[in-house]
Amino acid sequence: MNSLRPFILGITATFFVPWLCLIVIPHNKMKAQPVEWASPETGKLSAYPAGKPNIFRQGQIVYAQEGCAYCHTQMIRPTYLGYESWRPDFGKEGTVDLPIRTRETRSGDYDGEQFAYLGVQRVGPDLSNVGYRHTEQWHHEHLYDPQSKRDFSVMPSFRHLYIKRKVKGQRSELALSNIKSTDTVVDEYEIVPTEKAKALVGYLMTLKKDDPFSGQVAGEPEDKKSDVKSK
Amino acid sequence: MAQDKVAQEDIQRRTEIDSSVKFPVLFFITSAAVWLTLAALLGFVQQMKLHSPGFLDFSFLHFLNYGRSNPAFMGALVYGWAIQAGVGVGIWIMARLCRAEVKNPVTLIVAGHFWNLGVLIGVLGILFGHGTSIEWLAFPKAVWPILCGAFSLIVIWLVTMFHRRQDKEVYISVWYILGACFWFPWIFITANLFIHIFPGSAVAKAATNAWFMGSMIYLVLAPIGLASAYYIIPKVIGRPVHSAQLGYYGFWGLAVFGGWTGIQKFMGGPLPAWMPAISGAAVILMLIPVLIVTVNQIMTIKGKSIEVNSSPAVRFTVAGISFFIIYCVFSALNSFLAVGKFTQLSFTSLGTQLLAVYGFFSMTIFGAIYFIVPRLTGTEWPSLKRINSHFMLSIYAMGTLLVVHLFGGVWQSAAYGKFDAPLENAISAGKPYAIGGSVAWAVIVFATLGFLMNLVSILSRSGRSEIVSKFVKYIGGQENSG
Repeated sequence: MNSLRPFILGITATFFVPWLCLIVIPHNKMKAQPVEWASPETGKLSAYPAGKPNIFRQGQIVYAQEGCAYCHTQMIRPTYLGYESWRPDFGKEGTVDLPIRTRETRSGDYDGEQFAYLGVQRVGPDLSNVGYRHTEQWHHEHLYDPQSKRDFSVMPSFRHLYIKRKVKGQRSELALSNIKSTDTVVDEYEIVPTEKAKALVGYLMTLKKDDPFSGQVAGEPEDKKSDVKSK
Repeated sequence: MAQDKVAQEDIQRRTEIDSSVKFPVLFFITSAAVWLTLAALLGFVQQMKLHSPGFLDFSFLHFLNYGRSNPAFMGALVYGWAIQAGVGVGIWIMARLCRAEVKNPVTLIVAGHFWNLGVLIGVLGILFGHGTSIEWLAFPKAVWPILCGAFSLIVIWLVTMFHRRQDKEVYISVWYILGACFWFPWIFITANLFIHIFPGSAVAKAATNAWFMGSMIYLVLAPIGLASAYYIIPKVIGRPVHSAQLGYYGFWGLAVFGGWTGIQKFMGGPLPAWMPAISGAAVILMLIPVLIVTVNQIMTIKGKSIEVNSSPAVRFTVAGISFFIIYCVFSALNSFLAVGKFTQLSFTSLGTQLLAVYGFFSMTIFGAIYFIVPRLTGTEWPSLKRINSHFMLSIYAMGTLLVVHLFGGVWQSAAYGKFDAPLENAISAGKPYAIGGSVAWAVIVFATLGFLMNLVSILSRSGRSEIVSKFVKYIGGQENSG
């Protein structure tokens, strides 16, 4: 094969098929089609996916810029790939003593997002349902000084998203309270989030990837723990 | 006598080709080496940050947080070093095998400048908070057209070169290089268009990203690395490639399976299950072309262990190919659910990328650089000791990273799987391994600095002036063997 044409034809043919099947077709076919369904108990109608953009995009941009996705996943796997869906620190409720399973993430959960930050590795906990777990104030204080909330944390401080300013009149509602200030006149200053920090926390608060859908076994309580006895 | 004359003309011809190609190739190799040093430094910083966020934790250095230094490091390593060095080596191999002198080297230099500019904007963009957090595509969106334009110039140049070739035979290395030149723009443009420009499902975009990484490794880095191995090994050993036919099959095997790989990264994820399944199957089937390449290379170097050990170029290349085999076997194992569930979302995922980019590709390219640069400058490497220490340190560091990322990842994943243990256990499970990784990165920084110093001193002509390399004798009649 000494000329370029059969060579080009060959590699085009071999590459075109996977390109079509893995990129072009999924991009065109994986569109959200909300399915309406009625709850068997209450008869209430709801749709999955809900059809509205379900995250705060401005905050997702900050999430990307700060590279949160390099340590945190947003993907809970089904039980055949591990028991992480039972973790209290991955889900919405439940404790170490009384674990309650969160459902695995589905493609509809990422509707309206620019990019699904499924993640690379789990240096920190999964954030699919982090919107349920903490308050805004907690997030701000945690972003500013992660070790003040969890002393074992390896998360860096995001204090460049906060500014220190002189208190004028009343203290800001969002002023952080967990900061050990080195200033002598502590009371004169307060640390408040910038717009970026507010957007980021706003985004984290919208991360609730557990909308119920038709056919789901709703709210499996702890008696379902038998699921994991094969452990 | 007649044979001597032919040999003399041959040498003359090669010297002419070498001197015509000298400037662009050295440009790419040198700038790539500078990026590698930068990437190694960033690699050390990001690895330290992974376990000790207090390291360099000054407010004005907030741009070194793991979330920014990690993608900046990957960007510098893949685009600054790997692709650029690959292009440099590729141009040289093409010129040699097409037996054509270089025309219009200015095109290449212009393309090289734009490429470097693109990577620089990209890396700084990530560090200063404009990254996209999309693996291997983390550069700010504005950068990819620059990179794409620059690479297109290089592709056009290489294809023109191929058309002007004086040697009618087309060697296996030429195929691999032309293949990579064809695949890279397609993969790169597809990924950027579908992720950044076209609207579409967020999950399909994540899948495209995973596919991009798989295809980059199997269809861009692997062909360039293999092209270099298929050239350097026979050249130094002085014996043609064992079987051109096997080389043929190996190439087409790569072409057939390469485009399907990558998405196995998200098995169990929110994608249609067939996508990761088909990717996983392709990665497993990829073992067939890899086996072919392995057999071909082993048969080529069989019984020539003295040459292998005495030539740094071949030692590096053989080490690189060995890491390639390890990478492929490892990826195939990870494609099984039973193994993959422990390696999927953990340190291992980053470790496999490093194994491909640093273990396989960089080692092979180091080998090629150790072979090429003395021929272009007409001087010998100033310090053989430094080459040897570069080799040993790289092997040890890569071996350490491999162990750390593999076991650390499994350990970490298993800790997350223990749902009835507190979060602290899961977070601290990976920590000792991350610390081990930092040691390996410190070693890589050290090795890379040695490599850069060696390169700078040979370029500034402080090396020993010997025209003929002491590692490679002229081998009559074997010139076309590669």
